Amino acid sequence: MSLSAPSLQRRLLGLVLGLVAAVWLGTAVRTWFDARHELEELLDGHLAQAAALLVAQQLGEPDDDAPAIDAPVLHKEAPKIAFQVFHEGRLALRSANAPAQPMIDPGEGFRSGFRSVQVAGTEWRVFATYGAERDIQVYVGEQQRSRESILWALLRGSLQPLMLALPLLALAIWWAVYRGLAPLRKLGQTLARREPQALQPVVVPGAPAEMQPMLNALNALFERIGRLMESERRFTADAAHELRTPIAAIRAQAQVALAEPDEGARRHALQATLQGCDRAARLVEQLLTLSRLEAAEAPPLAALDLSGVVQGVVAEMAPQALQRHQQLTLDAAPICRVRGEATLLVVLVRNLVDNALRYSPPRAQVQVVVSIQGGKVTLTVEDSGPGVAEAELPRLGERFFRVLGSGQPGSGLGWSIVRRIAQVHGATVQARRSAALGGLLVSVQWPAAG
Amino acid sequence: MRILLAEDDALLGDGLRAGLRQQGFQVDWVRDGVAAERELRAEPYAAAVLDLGLPLKDGLAVLRDVRAAGVTLPVLVLTARDAVPDRIRGLDVGADDYVLKPVDLQELAARLRALVRRAHGQPQEQLRAQDLALSPAGRVVLQAGQPVTLSTREFDLLQALMLNAGRVLSREQLEQHLYSWGHEVESNAVEVHVHHLRRKLGSGVIQTVRGVGYLLPREQPAA
Repeated sequence: MSLSAPSLQRRLLGLVLGLVAAVWLGTAVRTWFDARHELEELLDGHLAQAAALLVAQQLGEPDDDAPAIDAPVLHKEAPKIAFQVFHEGRLALRSANAPAQPMIDPGEGFRSGFRSVQVAGTEWRVFATYGAERDIQVYVGEQQRSRESILWALLRGSLQPLMLALPLLALAIWWAVYRGLAPLRKLGQTLARREPQALQPVVVPGAPAEMQPMLNALNALFERIGRLMESERRFTADAAHELRTPIAAIRAQAQVALAEPDEGARRHALQATLQGCDRAARLVEQLLTLSRLEAAEAPPLAALDLSGVVQGVVAEMAPQALQRHQQLTLDAAPICRVRGEATLLVVLVRNLVDNALRYSPPRAQVQVVVSIQGGKVTLTVEDSGPGVAEAELPRLGERFFRVLGSGQPGSGLGWSIVRRIAQVHGATVQARRSAALGGLLVSVQWPAAG
Repeated sequence: MRILLAEDDALLGDGLRAGLRQQGFQVDWVRDGVAAERELRAEPYAAAVLDLGLPLKDGLAVLRDVRAAGVTLPVLVLTARDAVPDRIRGLDVGADDYVLKPVDLQELAARLRALVRRAHGQPQEQLRAQDLALSPAGRVVLQAGQPVTLSTREFDLLQALMLNAGRVLSREQLEQHLYSWGHEVESNAVEVHVHHLRRKLGSGVIQTVRGVGYLLPREQPAA
């Protein structure tokens, strides 16, 4: 995976880590508030309790003349707690760290309850209360900082392991994602290792279900390309094969003509050379037509009269039939509309009629019929020629399939062309034995023109 | 030299036949596999040119079957099938040479001559026996270094005898070497040509084995 492309691994890692961190952070904030609240309540309770003790202690007869007593420090944490007891405005008792002045400025007026105050630049939480008699005032204070440090300690205790765990977790997630993406990497490696021409299906052993649609699509693509390339390869091979024989004939005849001293024999060889050229030209023409047809998208179709098209083609082929003393007849219904492309239809009809004439002996009959029934237009071309064996009928239209022993030079391309053009028009082609004439009958049926 | 040409394409077959005749071969032309097999089994051709895409029976099948039947003549496969597996199959089935269409006629003739020479254990182009040297490609015969003028038939007869130098050939075998189909062979044609050859080359060159045929010894017999 290149660095510039967005990495699935990094994205997953970021996403999972981000989510985990967010959840932890949320939990930490929640813990902070909960803990602070509980802590405040607990410590405030302690302050109140301490104040209650001090009040209870003052219930003995207070000696107004006794000097103020400083309570001893009994614990290292004790300086964080301070208390003062005033009797009739005079300090009676205080902790060592408490100031002589009341922790709450008397100017503010004495109110019982909790208060946060600044004493000598330090934040204190102070609980103030009265004794049983109004002349005793008790203050118990706690440094705010000590409360916070407890809170921090609490929080640190719970957050620290998390902070430590996070990188470990990232590593674990990275590893898990890496493992999880292994099939993808494997697919990538498999694809990279393949020969560029290899088109067999990609198999990734143990591919997870999530990858299956991608693999299926990929393999379907490979198969389509394979079929396309195979048909392309076969076409070129077949075409080369089919062109070799006419070219060999031209070469041989031309070479014979060059070396032939006898005038008659030389003329014969030259004639044969020309024939060979015509044949090769026809073959090339057919190959081009076919490859254009196979490459082309569906041509625009327009409503046109098939009878007119067929008439034109039959008229054009008539001289060829006459030359061989063949009887070429046309029986066309007046107007037979089909949706089609005129040039292609001409090629189709010409190929059918040409095939019928070419493969039928001299004096044979070739009958062309255009009919319309229930809106469907049918073109049939039948002849009294040798026909095609039942077993070979389905093979007509395979490229370069030729009926053996026909004695005619040909490539079988005409049939492929007919089939392809019919396909473009949505027309169906059928070939069978002609009941009337005994040879081959080919029918092409168009769907009813909409 | 008489060879069989099996090719279904009319134009190509016609051209090859004419071209090979110009090169001095006697050519019989068949257009399908069944006829090719029949002829190969029946007639003593010097070699055959076989197309593979033959109607009725594929050329490879013909070749396999005649090889199985013990026909050993050199066969040159002439085909448009250019894929390497096709060539390998062709050679493995028993072809002696595999030539792609289109082919130069002179090259085809040279390959045929080479095949025939090798089939007779003669790797060099020139056939040699006694003081004779015969070059099939140039259709030249030298005796003791001097050119000898021979007619077509005389040349073909001498070539047949030199190819088989040291072996007796019957009159029928020689006739088959000399004539392709459609030639009326006069009953004493071989005798006449042998007579002419003896007159031009010396009476001792060709020996008659009575009741069997003719023989051209490798070495000049002691006078």
